[in-house]
Amino acid sequence: MSAHMHDEGYGTTVGRGDYTPGYYEIMERSIAELLVEKGRISADDIRRQIEVLDSRNPALGARVVARAWVDPEFRARLLANGRAACEELGITSYEDTELIVLENTERVHNLMVCTLCSCYPRAVMGLPPDWYKLKPYRARAVKEPRAVLAEFGTIIPEDVEVRVSDATAHVRFLVLPRRPAGTESFTEEQLAALVTRDAMIGVTTIKSPVSAGGSTR
Amino acid sequence: MKANNNLVDWLPNDLGGVESDRFQRVDHEMLPWEKRCHALADVLDQHKIVSTEEKRRAVEALGSDLIGKLSYYERWAVGFATLLFAKGVISPGELARKMAEVASRFEPEAS
Repeated sequence: MSAHMHDEGYGTTVGRGDYTPGYYEIMERSIAELLVEKGRISADDIRRQIEVLDSRNPALGARVVARAWVDPEFRARLLANGRAACEELGITSYEDTELIVLENTERVHNLMVCTLCSCYPRAVMGLPPDWYKLKPYRARAVKEPRAVLAEFGTIIPEDVEVRVSDATAHVRFLVLPRRPAGTESFTEEQLAALVTRDAMIGVTTIKSPVSAGGSTR
Repeated sequence: MKANNNLVDWLPNDLGGVESDRFQRVDHEMLPWEKRCHALADVLDQHKIVSTEEKRRAVEALGSDLIGKLSYYERWAVGFATLLFAKGVISPGELARKMAEVASRFEPEAS
């Protein structure tokens, strides 16, 4: 067997014939190589950005939510300026985007979508799941949000308003879910462990971890 | 009201409110090339070569037929190419030659 290795960057040393990239992967590699050859970007820029992408995940957003639950002053700052409040926790945005935090209450349930493409609060959540980027969710979330929520198993009472926010390249959202009942004695860390990606998109709520048969998915 | 008046209500990529099926909660682990493609988009934005909004518009300009036939990151790759041609950063000939060269690196060695 010939020794070979797969390099995540572009300095690829994959053995010949071991792997055949598709047409569009070849296009992507070629565009990047041409830009590097022309000095417009460097291969290191891409490698560094892959590391940044790998470092972003919903656990960051969960930390933000848990802090907002235990610290009312932080919550107020978060609702006033999401980006600045996240920076307090060391979570920086690598894009020039605004972060608007949508607070769920007894009267309002928030849901976010990007009807145009796939805008998502990547700084605090990482990359979106595929269903968030596909037609059914994008088309229907703004038109029949309650039906979409029901398909996620989320039933919002009729007397609670459902608000849908549509993201853009410049404005991203993060849903601040309601703190579940029975968590009064939980530490911030224990609270963060309850917060899910889907709850921060707004397609689910966070179940009480102490209710009978309560599952937190 | 003319029958074609509402044709521009929705551009190909603007899906809010259009008829659509039930959805499946699909997701997949990103392929290495998809992650590189995403990183490339971010780097192009950071270097002010192609902004996120320009990329979105380039994808929209592919039209609904191509949008439907290409995967998410395949659309991005084509979007980058068309934008970089339009901006004169790279030429179609350069890209074609580079793609042939890159493809040849993966061909089994003739022996």
